Amino acid sequence: LSLMALRLRLKNSFCHSFDAPVLTSSISEVINLFLGSPDAHVKPQFLDSEVQDILTRITGLNLEKVFRPIKQELKPPKYKLMTDAQLEEATQSAREQAQRLLKMPPVLPERKPINDVLSEDKILEGMDTAKYVFTDITFNIPHRERFIVIREPTGTLRKASWEERDRILQVYFPKEGRRLTAPPVFKEENLKVVFGQDRHEDMLDLCQVQFEPDSSEYIRVHAATYEDLEKMGKYDLLRSTRHFGGLVWYLVNARRVDGLMIDMLQKDLLQDAVSLVGLFNKVHPHSETAQEASSQQAYGLDLLKIYAKRESQRAGYVELALQAYEQTSAESTV
Amino acid sequence: IILTASFLLKTYHGGHIVIRLAMAGHKQSNRPFYRIVAAYNKRARDSKYIEQLGSYDPLPNIYNEKLVSINYDRIKYWMGCGAHPTKPVAKLLGLAGFFPLHPMTVTETERHRALAELAEEAAPQDGVKQQQL
Repeated sequence: LSLMALRLRLKNSFCHSFDAPVLTSSISEVINLFLGSPDAHVKPQFLDSEVQDILTRITGLNLEKVFRPIKQELKPPKYKLMTDAQLEEATQSAREQAQRLLKMPPVLPERKPINDVLSEDKILEGMDTAKYVFTDITFNIPHRERFIVIREPTGTLRKASWEERDRILQVYFPKEGRRLTAPPVFKEENLKVVFGQDRHEDMLDLCQVQFEPDSSEYIRVHAATYEDLEKMGKYDLLRSTRHFGGLVWYLVNARRVDGLMIDMLQKDLLQDAVSLVGLFNKVHPHSETAQEASSQQAYGLDLLKIYAKRESQRAGYVELALQAYEQTSAESTV
Repeated sequence: IILTASFLLKTYHGGHIVIRLAMAGHKQSNRPFYRIVAAYNKRARDSKYIEQLGSYDPLPNIYNEKLVSINYDRIKYWMGCGAHPTKPVAKLLGLAGFFPLHPMTVTETERHRALAELAEEAAPQDGVKQQQL
């Protein structure tokens, strides 16, 4: 959170100090400007526009899957008569709606615990057996800045921890779908049952509703889901949903992109594979793949070949798949 | 004369405004729940108030917490208009850190501790007597 605050402060300071607004497209570029030297490399973050572009391209846009029937109130179906042009317009607006639905939830570092003590009053010890929790109900404050203080029976006045904050904010400012105590689905054994039923997407949606993006529970559940998906190779389950970007980001940071790469090549998604390798090079610029790619200025299939040679553990698979793809493309042209 | 809110309230009503705890409905149930409320002095405790400024639940929940919500912004406004907080409200705000600690809180804690010590001295003596018997 402190890093986010630093970035916001940097952005604000740049807006005030320059007459014309500094046109930077990514947060890492802002930090580079601040650090002074262009060679000092800062790791690209999830929310950079370049990274987001690549991830949206890889996620794909399967309208059938995005607008598949979900559990809702039963209504009689409506039929509309449209000309071809109107149908085009309708599909276009549906595509824009789908892009808005596929907006990725943020990936944030885990939040640091709060240990602030506001006052220690030894004279109040033994006053009461219960704690007093004081919440500030002023309307116009963001929830992260609200004051939630606890007076312990020992007399110390301390700030509430993150879990207590989440619970009490849910009491006074309830969010739809969120429960006061986490549902028991999120325990390890129950997660395995859900994964056995192939319901990873529902799991991730539930996690999104229940926990804050930087809580440890959220990160743990997401990590477990991504691990299971990678083990089983079921990348298709998340392919046209808003969680695919998070999955790709997790795998790229853990450097285990092989399974995803093979899956893409088997499904003939060459452009996606190329952009995946490009993203990998951006995030790990000191790896062998990135250095060779930058030295040779490689594009397209060559990037994939470099990756297959240098980085992947299952190099044989990747090269086989590449050869198969080249053969099929040669046959189709011939 | 400058027409401020406090001036208007005093001249119109004749009484003054207090910030106090009002029991929130449910007269038949055996479960108290208070609202921290800005109301006229002469009105009944639970009847029409001017504005609700928070709540207080005197029974602890499963996590052993007594939940108190306070709208500091509006309390500052009403105090600025000349409202008086009552003793329990002043004690709660003192515990919250918004007011300085109320002296009666300290006195009550001392009395509570004295009682607890007396009870402790009584209980082990009874236990010892039973063992002797």
